[in-house]
Amino acid sequence: MLRSLKRFGALVRKEMTQTLRDRRTLAIVLIMPLIELLLFAYAVDITVDHIPTAVADMSLDAESRALVQALTVSGYFDVAVYLENEAQVVQAIDEGRARAGLVIPPGFGASIERGEGQALVLLDGSDSFTVQSGYTAALAIAQARSLDLLVQQAGRMGVAAAVQSLPITTSTRVLYNPNMDDLVFIVPALAAMLLQILAVNLTAMAVARERELGTIEQLLITPIRPMELMVSKMIPNVLISAIGLLTVTLVGTFWFGVPFQGNPWLFAWLSLLFIVSGLALGLLISTVSQTQHQAQQISMLLFMISLLLTGFLYPRAPMPPLVQFVGNLIPLTYFIRLARGVITKGVGLSFLWTDVLALGFYATLMMVLAAASFKKRLD
Amino acid sequence: MLRRIWAVMQKELIQIVRDRRTLFIMVSMPMIQLFLFGYAINMSVDHIPMVVVDQSPDAASRAYVDTLVTSGFFDVVGYLSSEADVVQAIDQGRAQAGIVIPPGFAADVVSPGSGRAQVLLLVDGSDLFTSQSAYNAATLIAEVHAADVLMARIERSGRAAGRQELLPLDVRVRILYNPNLDDLWFLIPGMTAMLLQIQTIALTAMSIVRERERGNIEQILVTPIRSAELMLGKMMPAALIVFINLLTILAVGVFWFEVPFQGNFWLFLWLAFLYVFSGLGLGLLISTVSQNQKQAQQLIGVISLVGILLAGFIFPRYTMPPLIRVAGNLFPLTYFVPIAQGIITKGVGIEFLWEQVAALLVYVAMVLVLAVRLFKPALD
Repeated sequence: MLRSLKRFGALVRKEMTQTLRDRRTLAIVLIMPLIELLLFAYAVDITVDHIPTAVADMSLDAESRALVQALTVSGYFDVAVYLENEAQVVQAIDEGRARAGLVIPPGFGASIERGEGQALVLLDGSDSFTVQSGYTAALAIAQARSLDLLVQQAGRMGVAAAVQSLPITTSTRVLYNPNMDDLVFIVPALAAMLLQILAVNLTAMAVARERELGTIEQLLITPIRPMELMVSKMIPNVLISAIGLLTVTLVGTFWFGVPFQGNPWLFAWLSLLFIVSGLALGLLISTVSQTQHQAQQISMLLFMISLLLTGFLYPRAPMPPLVQFVGNLIPLTYFIRLARGVITKGVGLSFLWTDVLALGFYATLMMVLAAASFKKRLD
Repeated sequence: MLRRIWAVMQKELIQIVRDRRTLFIMVSMPMIQLFLFGYAINMSVDHIPMVVVDQSPDAASRAYVDTLVTSGFFDVVGYLSSEADVVQAIDQGRAQAGIVIPPGFAADVVSPGSGRAQVLLLVDGSDLFTSQSAYNAATLIAEVHAADVLMARIERSGRAAGRQELLPLDVRVRILYNPNLDDLWFLIPGMTAMLLQIQTIALTAMSIVRERERGNIEQILVTPIRSAELMLGKMMPAALIVFINLLTILAVGVFWFEVPFQGNFWLFLWLAFLYVFSGLGLGLLISTVSQNQKQAQQLIGVISLVGILLAGFIFPRYTMPPLIRVAGNLFPLTYFVPIAQGIITKGVGIEFLWEQVAALLVYVAMVLVLAVRLFKPALD
């Protein structure tokens, strides 16, 4: 037991020295999450507004101007250019000068009086976010305008003096994020995502590197056990990841002002568990790869899958079961729910214990698999 | 000179073909991604689990809830008795939306004089797409329902002729290029652009840094080869693999997922060829500043992530602040995403794309010159 501890201590010292000596890697690893967080947080604007719009108003009357104004006042559409007809609007979208178009046919005001006004909104279907935002915004604005007109007409017909607005109002309250602030959505998940990239990348090449450089032979002739080697490779990286986590969380909370609703200590402990599972996953990649290049390719694939299948960007509920299952193979899937639960919702363990258990089980499984696959390779 | 380049190419090709596992990963990765994403990405969320608190259970409130459910956007997963219960259900994650219909709802709806009936909709704000979908859908549906009720009331008062069936203003939305909002149609152009970049950068950077880390670079230095020749020889096999991947993605996208290729295929292929060199050049640049494969891998990771986020592949560029947009200009992906979207999805020709093509050309030239310059001292 004592000898095992001594062995282990020596290994940890070796790993620490190696990590600290490679200054450039250390600098990249420590600065990277910060840069990514800043860039991402400023770049991501999920509710797309101020969509450049080409307008072809062939009526030029009060009603048509009111509709154009309703669209621009909403903030969703900006008039980029006024054109003559539909063909020109389509061309402007083809060229990329505009992302949306509004075509109002001649005699718009008169047809509204008759109750059959029509207008056409064109959207650039090559850009998904523009379409999503533009579609709902255009419909909502048009409908609001339409209902205004309806209420006006009803009033004019003298249906009831009391009818000044619609009979039912639905007020919507968005929990946890009342202003639908993009950063509140993004920062917890982004912190989790960056943490996983960091953790996996840190260990993904660790064993492959020893193998490629031939130093693995030297390790093999020592009495070291596979599990001891795995854990020792993790320890310096747990420290680095913890620093990364701290930076990302502090910048998110204090710089971007994302409210931290839950218990910071609970979050810290859960993050530690998550870091260990990420590092263990990296080690597994590292033991099954023959070269560093392979390890790099696999961790790249993992990164792409994490971006899309873990609920980071796209909701998991509509995904088919097989794809959901693939997402379950990645620790980020569990931790994104935990991060959102603790940071955004402010709930405690009583609501989160299933994901915590899953993550704990995952971390253990990965460690055992990594050690086992290393052992197999040794023989 | 050609013979020397050919010799390096042969060496690289043999190395690549011999390392079967890496080759397999490199060639199968784009396919795996395409299939996963092809079936995974679905941005318009429907069947959002919803809980209902109906404090005046009657025909009017049922009609209201029915409108929400029949829209397909919401599924009722439970009936609760108070607003606090709804909040708890959302806290637990059992539901992502909740609706609270107050007592006296029916009376407010039916009797014209009594003002307005109030309904409260609660939405889970921790999940982006769900909350947006729920918010938009519920608002639209609720308004339509309200208009129906108003309409019915007008009819009952007998003053309106039958023509009031329709709202006075009918706005139709037509979506160009992708009328059914098929998510894969959005995805394929951006994905070809992204994979081409990630793979070219990784292939060149790793292959050169590996030579350095293993000490093979010394052996290459004592041969009469020049750095530009060595670079070309290393780039060609990488370009070959990437091109094979490009063709498989397009073939699977067009024939399996039936994404239409609207534009000129040959124009696209030529521009893709030009674009591949930007990635190769970036890879070389990374290799000159990396001392070992670990560093190279970290840098590749940063460039891929940042490139994807800033290039307009996922998030549109015109909403980004100016400084971020400038940062996006540092990545060739930014120029190629509009080209790929233009040719594949929109079907436009070079006359609408020449600005991006010119920018890409300048970029490639600059990156290659810079890489050759920096590569020399790195050899010494």
